[in-house]
Amino acid sequence: MTLIKKYIPLAICFLVGLMTLASYYVPNKTSENYLEVMNKWENIVAGFAFLLGLFSLFFSHYNKIRRKVDGWGYSLFVFVGFLVMVVPALMSHGKQMDGTSLTGLGWGYRFMFNALSGTMFSVLAFYIVSTAYRAFRIKSAQAGVLFAAALVLIIGKVPLGQLMWDKLLGWTHLGVTQIVQWLMDVPVVAGRRGIMMGLAVGGIVTALKIIFGIERQYMGKD
Amino acid sequence: MKNFLEKLLKIDRRLIFLALAILLVFPIVKPLGLPNLNLGSEVKSLYERIEGLPPRSFVLMSLDYDPATRPELHPQAVAILRHAFRKNLRVGILTLNAGATGLIEEIGERIPKDIAPEKVYGKDYVILPYQPNPVAVMTQMGMDLYQIYDKDRDGSPIRDMEVFKGIKNVKDMQLGICITGTAMLDYWIAYTGDKFKFPMAGGVTAVSQMGYAPYLQTGQLKGLVGGMKGAADYETLINHKEKGTSGIDALSLAHLMVIILIVTANIMMLWLKYL
Amino acid sequence: MSETMLIFGGWVAAGLTIFLFSFLYKDNPFFKVTEHLYLGAGMGWVFQTVLFQTWKPKVWEPLQAGDWTVLIPTVLGLSLVTQFFPRISWISRYGFTFIMGYGSGLVIPLTISTDLLKQIGGTIAPFMVSEISRANIGSLINGSIVAIGFICVLFYFFFSVEHKGVVKKASNIGIYFLMLYFGAAFGNTVMGRFSLLYGRFDDLYKYSAPKYFYATHVILAALVIYFVVDHFRKKKPEIEEEAA
Repeated sequence: MTLIKKYIPLAICFLVGLMTLASYYVPNKTSENYLEVMNKWENIVAGFAFLLGLFSLFFSHYNKIRRKVDGWGYSLFVFVGFLVMVVPALMSHGKQMDGTSLTGLGWGYRFMFNALSGTMFSVLAFYIVSTAYRAFRIKSAQAGVLFAAALVLIIGKVPLGQLMWDKLLGWTHLGVTQIVQWLMDVPVVAGRRGIMMGLAVGGIVTALKIIFGIERQYMGKD
Repeated sequence: MKNFLEKLLKIDRRLIFLALAILLVFPIVKPLGLPNLNLGSEVKSLYERIEGLPPRSFVLMSLDYDPATRPELHPQAVAILRHAFRKNLRVGILTLNAGATGLIEEIGERIPKDIAPEKVYGKDYVILPYQPNPVAVMTQMGMDLYQIYDKDRDGSPIRDMEVFKGIKNVKDMQLGICITGTAMLDYWIAYTGDKFKFPMAGGVTAVSQMGYAPYLQTGQLKGLVGGMKGAADYETLINHKEKGTSGIDALSLAHLMVIILIVTANIMMLWLKYL
Repeated sequence: MSETMLIFGGWVAAGLTIFLFSFLYKDNPFFKVTEHLYLGAGMGWVFQTVLFQTWKPKVWEPLQAGDWTVLIPTVLGLSLVTQFFPRISWISRYGFTFIMGYGSGLVIPLTISTDLLKQIGGTIAPFMVSEISRANIGSLINGSIVAIGFICVLFYFFFSVEHKGVVKKASNIGIYFLMLYFGAAFGNTVMGRFSLLYGRFDDLYKYSAPKYFYATHVILAALVIYFVVDHFRKKKPEIEEEAA
């Protein structure tokens, strides 16, 4: 049983990983055909991966309703929201437009999903401002550098800031746009490139560990 | 004085929220009309690249954003699309983000209405369906795109469409533009840009704009439009002002507020500490 | 779609937006309902997109045309769901290992090329003979700053040796470069979030028009009334207690 439960999956990972890796360095008709099949198959497999999220969400809220935990009534709205999108989609066969007019699905996207998703993420703006006031304290030289970079960038990017800079510091003949551009072209490149390279090395090592079966946490417990 | 400053530092955050809301709503109700003065050089690079493409060149646009980043990225997509059509380029629109399909539908609705009414679907542009697993799609786009996209979003076969004449993979296309609020542009750079020598440009949120500076320096990215300011820059360049430009007033006021709040809070803190 | 449905849509969009914003004042049932609706609607949207744009054209239609090979990735994909049933969860390993092996195989060469070699190339490019012969001093100075900064940042992330002496100095310089990057990123983050908020307010303004029968105004006023009533309703027991 260990063979089926553990070794065959690991062998699949090893084989697929190694052949995909080799197909990059050995570009010929066979490797191209192999990659084409893999691309098509992976495309389909990934189409089922979201079911993990769907089942997880449904199980969690179904259990809340079943056990009648505090606020279980709200969980019903998860299913309502789901049906509000899926039922019109089934009725219109996934079409959002019927000629020049919106179908129920298109209506749901434009007036519901758009508003819900957009607002959920925009709320962060309020917290950024409040946190900037309450927690952004320049207590060290490093924090000072961080603030100076943020300040120059904010001033340089919006017209009101540019107008203020020209009024107050115009005599220096130093344009804020040039400073922002230099900031982006030089120190930001250096800082970001360092992080990027660290991530790249980490990514390559992890990928190798996965192919060789050293890293197998994603497989769950034995 | 000390008590007053301490109270001020611990002010109810809902008052700050209210101030921000008022500051953002004010220019919507009464626009200030501030000029968009300095245009980003990376935005100009993209504009010039599109400007320099021969007519009927093929531009691939991967619109990978959803309503969560719509105010920043949708104006970018509309402005770039308007420019491409104005230059008589062929455009292929696709998405690798399920949440984007509704926004692409809006674009599909707007093209015949106001973006480019003279353009014909299937001849000048095409909209492809959503596909999961971006990496597989991108890798396949470099070999034979019809193996992964054989139909458009309405289920019509694409191989014989005039818009795809002479196109087998990204090597036959002249420019790729990925507009995204996620890391999708990184994938496009690696899996098609670098691998198949496909010129890539991007449109990203302001949050992630800085992260692409190294790619611009190495030339892996041919141009970059960042956030609503980038959209406003592009609208200025094509001389067609829309949602990107109209947001600049509100952004100006709100940013001024952030700077004032940070500086004031730090002065108060120093006062309490040393005076 | 009729005009009535579009106006109703305006009311729904304005309502959902305001209900989500209401959390900024305090947690309330309207927010909670809307929050849960968001979870369900988001999942519903992805489900229908995958159903009609992947499963139907990539699995169902090929099967009807007699292409049985699509069953292999379909079974691998479906195997992922066994994750939720402990007794047979090992089956999901087949799907996972297939995805992980393919992803790992692709990521290695491309990361080496895109994020390692090209970045090293970009760092040394300003010092190539062709560049130096142009005698562009500005480019050389900037190139040197990028190179020094980049190496110092790498030292900061290099934990295999103890940070003391030259290594400590280099890593300290690296921190300043990181701070400049984070500072610039923070400035841009602020800008990004405001843009999103502006987008929502712009929509609310649209729905406040007479065409939408002042949807924004009405819903906002109703919510304020709710909070006022709720405030006094919750205070009532205290007053009764005091009276007693």
